[in-house]
Amino acid sequence: MSQVKTKNLKNFSTSADRFEGSNLLCPGCAHSIIVREVLNATNDHLILGASTGCLEVCTAVYPHTSWDVSWIHIGFENGSSAIAGAEAMHKALKNKGRLKQPDLTPKFVTFGGDGATYDIGFQWISGCFERGHNMMYVCLDNEVYANTGGQRSSSTPIGASASTTPAGRISYGEKRNKKDIMAIMAAHGAPYVAQVAPNKWRDMVAKVQKGFSIEGPVFINAMSACTTEWKFAPEDTIAISDLATESLVFPLYEIIDGTKLNITYRPKNVLPVRDYLGAQGRFKHLFTKQYEYIIDEWQSRVDAKWEYLQRREDACV
Amino acid sequence: MADIFELRDYEVWDGNMAASHALRQAQVDVVAAYPITPSTPIVENYGNFMANGYIDGEYILAESEHGAMSCCIGASAAGGRVATATSSQGFALMLETLYSASGMRLPIILNVVNRAIGAPLNVNGDHSDMYMGRDSGWIQIDCYNPQDVYDMNLLAFRVSEDHDIRLPTMVHQDGFMTSHTAQRVKTLSDDVAYNFIGEFKPMNDMLDLDHPVTHGVQTEEDWHFEHKARQHHALMSAVIPKIQEAFDELKVLSGRQYNIVESYNMNDAEVAIVCMGSSVETALEVSNELLAKGIKAGVVGIRVFRPFPLVEIADALKSCKAIATLDRSSPNGTVGALFNEIAGALFNTNTHAVLTNYIYGLGGRDLTKASLHTIYRELESNAESGNVTTPLQQFIGLRGPKLSFF
Amino acid sequence: MIENGWNQFEIGSVLRPFSGEVSDVSVIQPEDRLYSASNSFSVSVADWRIEKPLFKKELCIDCQFCWIYCPDMSIISRDKKMIGVDYDHCKGCGICVQVCPTTPKALLMFPEQADEEIELAQWPKKETQETKEN
Repeated sequence: MSQVKTKNLKNFSTSADRFEGSNLLCPGCAHSIIVREVLNATNDHLILGASTGCLEVCTAVYPHTSWDVSWIHIGFENGSSAIAGAEAMHKALKNKGRLKQPDLTPKFVTFGGDGATYDIGFQWISGCFERGHNMMYVCLDNEVYANTGGQRSSSTPIGASASTTPAGRISYGEKRNKKDIMAIMAAHGAPYVAQVAPNKWRDMVAKVQKGFSIEGPVFINAMSACTTEWKFAPEDTIAISDLATESLVFPLYEIIDGTKLNITYRPKNVLPVRDYLGAQGRFKHLFTKQYEYIIDEWQSRVDAKWEYLQRREDACV
Repeated sequence: MADIFELRDYEVWDGNMAASHALRQAQVDVVAAYPITPSTPIVENYGNFMANGYIDGEYILAESEHGAMSCCIGASAAGGRVATATSSQGFALMLETLYSASGMRLPIILNVVNRAIGAPLNVNGDHSDMYMGRDSGWIQIDCYNPQDVYDMNLLAFRVSEDHDIRLPTMVHQDGFMTSHTAQRVKTLSDDVAYNFIGEFKPMNDMLDLDHPVTHGVQTEEDWHFEHKARQHHALMSAVIPKIQEAFDELKVLSGRQYNIVESYNMNDAEVAIVCMGSSVETALEVSNELLAKGIKAGVVGIRVFRPFPLVEIADALKSCKAIATLDRSSPNGTVGALFNEIAGALFNTNTHAVLTNYIYGLGGRDLTKASLHTIYRELESNAESGNVTTPLQQFIGLRGPKLSFF
Repeated sequence: MIENGWNQFEIGSVLRPFSGEVSDVSVIQPEDRLYSASNSFSVSVADWRIEKPLFKKELCIDCQFCWIYCPDMSIISRDKKMIGVDYDHCKGCGICVQVCPTTPKALLMFPEQADEEIELAQWPKKETQETKEN
């Protein structure tokens, strides 16, 4: 395996992208930043998959592809199975001595949005992880069905106004809290489960490289700030991502072998959750007398989760 | 290296075992499957072969039929031989991905052990699942007995994987009636069977790292029509000649003769039954009995359901005066699908045949010889009068008041 | 390709990013690749832009923040140096300007029609307007 130099950004910037521009993603889309950081983390050959979603519909619309490596999409729910099948075929052909390039071992990676991961594709992912395919699943978690116009998913956080759970005269928007996909994937006993954010590129690349070095299914949950559905200006994608990681709304951590939890980023000055919420149009309605309490609840929930993660880390379980 | 499985010249296999051995002999690279009655023994047998060293390929035990076919698609696009099996509800769950497999031109082999689709739930054989698949862009080959299942599985790989075709194939057999009924099957040795299929030759394979390829794109109104037309063209023009070629070679190897349309006692038949699956053999028995009595009654069996051999069927039926199409699937609001197909085949010909439709055997209800005698009797009276003397569509073998339409 | 009839496409609607064989694309920069017409790289999204980033080389410290955070592979960095912006693929999101850490910034947004030479000459003045937002 050829290791990419990631000691610093200057070194990393010598990478040659295998994901191309003039795709149809929105200006300022974090999906693309995440994909670049994942793909550039290795020089190994890659076989990629995708579930239906923003990334897929924006990068393989006939007659153009934005993928410089082999890539497959079937449907909304089965990006995981598609790449698991390809991985199995690689194994079969290797055993039978029929690989065209027997000395090269490609990495098998598939991308899906939170809709494809938390909701419709969950069963397929669970199957792939239980069976132990040697693959990496990257969830591009923008907390909404962005591709179809902003409907809520089970990743949409409480209080967010989504097109199927809009804020209104008697509603503060989404009523349920985001599903804890990290705990669920760790409970599969996966060798490596990690949460990442594109603004923390070094943390992301280190985790992706760690994932690539491990045999077995690896789950990466990547926060993907969505300029269109979170309602912030396209140039603020990194700034919003910073607010998410600095306020601990989106803590960065990893779980090894389903049990050992490590926190990988600790903000020096933790920002209030209010700052994160206030920067996005989807939470605008919370800044009213009527719904202010939701913000306080948010803060308590984030504090409690951070406390829990620290205790898990301390306890080494 | 997988061990050779020493087969006797004749084995006593049910349809499921015949399918399992064909998959083993094909040296499938990836099987991804999810068990469902009555196809379950196919994947159980395969697991048994695997456990005893007769399989080199990978075997994915998926979490659902949809997951199984999704893995098959990924594996096939990666570049190798792929097969699976399913039935009924599982087939229905797979349906979305069946369109993907054919649209992506991936030569996957799917054994469909035909079973009814609920509600109400039913585990027995009818053709609801086969009919559900008929617009999915797959080649559909129909088997009447375990010998057919064995031969047609071997043939399916050879036809599907041909670079002029690259379309997936469903090999159909009747749940329980064929899948669980042990019969004599004349075998080919592992070598002969494998050579009949041939080596898998990859095309557009994702694992060819020097030639990256994008599979599963989106095509909107500027492109979609052309791609679907191209797919239809391959199904319509390349498949039948390739199947015929394989039939011819199989005849040399095994002495068994298959035909695109199977005609029995049809040379100067005046009345004919057109049907599928295990019913073909029952109908043939009745046909032989009638023939002995001097009644010119024939049987036409559909061997290749998709692509539909419209011209060949019309030709097989051209001399008939009365024809009954037998559909083993609830037509739910119209005539049976086979009635429509046969009517479409005959419409612009010179035939004056009277065409009627029987719905039979839903949920595994036996098609009795008595029912077939009744059908032939009604056909005779249609032939005699030159008109439909019965309702156009009749349910046969059904309890309660007579049910018929049109 | 839009003129092609149904029999002139590859089966399965597959697309190929490159013309012919590529050995190891992970170490080949775009200028040395044989992109096919089917690669989105061969297409421009310049007309998406309302504003464009301009680059003032003298102020750049080659930190590569703009490179890592560019969602459109449009920051051209070679040998650890920022060379410029790829205006065929830049959609004008403005992230590169936001993450540029120098004072004044080495990247700033300007109306798409702005004249590069004039804007580069007026750079410091523009700078002071932009930075107050940060």
